[in-house]
Amino acid sequence: MDAKTSSSVQASGMTGIHREPFEFFLIHEAQLLDERRFRDWMALFAEDGTYWVPAVPNQQSPFNQASLFYDDRELMKTRVDRLEHPWIHVQTPPSRSAHMVSNIIIEQADEATGEYLIGSTFIMVEYRDEQQRVFAGRQHHRLRRDGASFRIVQKRVDLINCDSAFEAIAVPI
Amino acid sequence: MINGNSDEVARLVEAGRVHRRVYSDPEVFDLEMERIFGRAWLFVGHTSQVPMPGDFITTELGRQPVIMTRHRDGSVHVLLNRCTHRGPKVVNERCGHAARLTCCYHGWTYDTDGRLLNVPVPEGCGEGFDREAFGLARAPRVGEYRGFVFASLAPKGSSFEDHIGPMKGNIDDLVDRAPDGTLALDVGMHRYIYQGNWKLQVENVLDSYHVPFGHASTVNKEGVQFARREGDQKGAVVVEAEKKQTASSWKDRKSYIVGNGHGWTSNTTLEDGKRSSKAFDEYKQILTNKVGAERARQILTPRLHNSLIYPNMSIMGLNIHVRVIKPLAVDRTEVTIYPVRLVGAPEAMNFGNIRLLNVTHSAASFVQTDDLESFVRAQKGLQSRHTDWVDISRGLGAEEPDRELNATRGLATHEMVVRAQYKAWVGYMREAA
Repeated sequence: MDAKTSSSVQASGMTGIHREPFEFFLIHEAQLLDERRFRDWMALFAEDGTYWVPAVPNQQSPFNQASLFYDDRELMKTRVDRLEHPWIHVQTPPSRSAHMVSNIIIEQADEATGEYLIGSTFIMVEYRDEQQRVFAGRQHHRLRRDGASFRIVQKRVDLINCDSAFEAIAVPI
Repeated sequence: MINGNSDEVARLVEAGRVHRRVYSDPEVFDLEMERIFGRAWLFVGHTSQVPMPGDFITTELGRQPVIMTRHRDGSVHVLLNRCTHRGPKVVNERCGHAARLTCCYHGWTYDTDGRLLNVPVPEGCGEGFDREAFGLARAPRVGEYRGFVFASLAPKGSSFEDHIGPMKGNIDDLVDRAPDGTLALDVGMHRYIYQGNWKLQVENVLDSYHVPFGHASTVNKEGVQFARREGDQKGAVVVEAEKKQTASSWKDRKSYIVGNGHGWTSNTTLEDGKRSSKAFDEYKQILTNKVGAERARQILTPRLHNSLIYPNMSIMGLNIHVRVIKPLAVDRTEVTIYPVRLVGAPEAMNFGNIRLLNVTHSAASFVQTDDLESFVRAQKGLQSRHTDWVDISRGLGAEEPDRELNATRGLATHEMVVRAQYKAWVGYMREAA
């Protein structure tokens, strides 16, 4: 198919911006999670960055309604400290995960301020203590240019089953 | 095998120990669904979940699907979610709004108070078809206190007043914190599930013994847990850092029982005098304006940590929420946790409570996840035949009367509350329907 047909222009989102740096960034982020390098993962977030996993589809706000995760940097640090704690029972044995990130679209780009909104579809397979399960959905990274790379202003993860009952979730998705 | 023989059921519980079959035997579970969840007063929902006529929520009471509706006249109804014709669930959504409730199969339509309104092709019904008799079945008994709706699926038994009465003060403790004197469960929910028996969660809500070790991963090197409430500068002192053992303030915590399996634990010691933030100070002012300084001071001095309204609901007074426990199978349980919106409190105060609960009690929280791991491991460990008995004897004989509170008191790191739950359990279980 011709790369210039309207459907493929739509699929790539903003035209004239290279997708590759964003794709590399998302793959790098997924790799840090899969390698359990949680402190390095946290360092990808801007000082005012947040990590949000809503508990209902199309959730409008993290403030007026329950969320699975809504961590600012301070809570993220408490979470990571706990993940490194020797007595975190729910990670004995630890989770292993494999993330797949695809269908990446640059949904918004402001070259002047260096802020971008990147949508992607993900699948995360988690294995722990003889059980394997799958998380999947669409995620949005609001990124801010930082030198040659980016910092995460917000990572929002919309699980397709966000409003279902979950067994314990110990690691970020 | 359990055949419902009352002596055989009673033999599963002894002073200070219970037989492992209460957690692991599917036949015991079947009997619990009939004799406890089939007749006890169970929490169904809060009236704030159905604010407008036509609003509904659906849930399960034991194995039975139910709908709680708000009818046009403002009344709240607890109806069995089963078409009286061929049996499908009439309402399939967890919550919503409808002028009429229509079964998907043949289109039988019910009013929001359960009355049967319309049967397609009515000429097919027999001569003596009595439409009145084909309304949605109702929970035989329904009671409400300050918006908390409870139902019993048995037409007789202990009255609502006798069952819930001793715990009204615990409901008041939470509701009185709302400046408008009412609360709302309308800010979402957390849902988690675990491969373990329902009683593992029920027993855990009043268990202060597990906190220093079970939640060790939430306690920092100074023995202090992360700050929980809006306006707190730091969290509870759980472990004495020097000695690496449970802090004496934690060991002094008390628990209380009042019969029927109910109970509560005393508050967590926090520096309430220093509690301050923009949102908290504004909230305190609004509350003081409504109820006066003395009453506001009482309300804001926490008395209760967790309260259990046996068998299926608890209220937490620290990081405020309402918790509902739903048994799914002998080794599978679902729990719903509702953040509480204090009506009349500043938005920022309620937002703070909601955010805190994400951290403590979502399926991805810092606190609840370690409890779930303990429940799952208990269910696995109890498959062992090394011994048939589970020990619940801590503090046996050390209980004492608390005349002021009209309750029985023990240390919260003891197991008096668990023994009280099994006393109620035997009461339900040995009595045939």
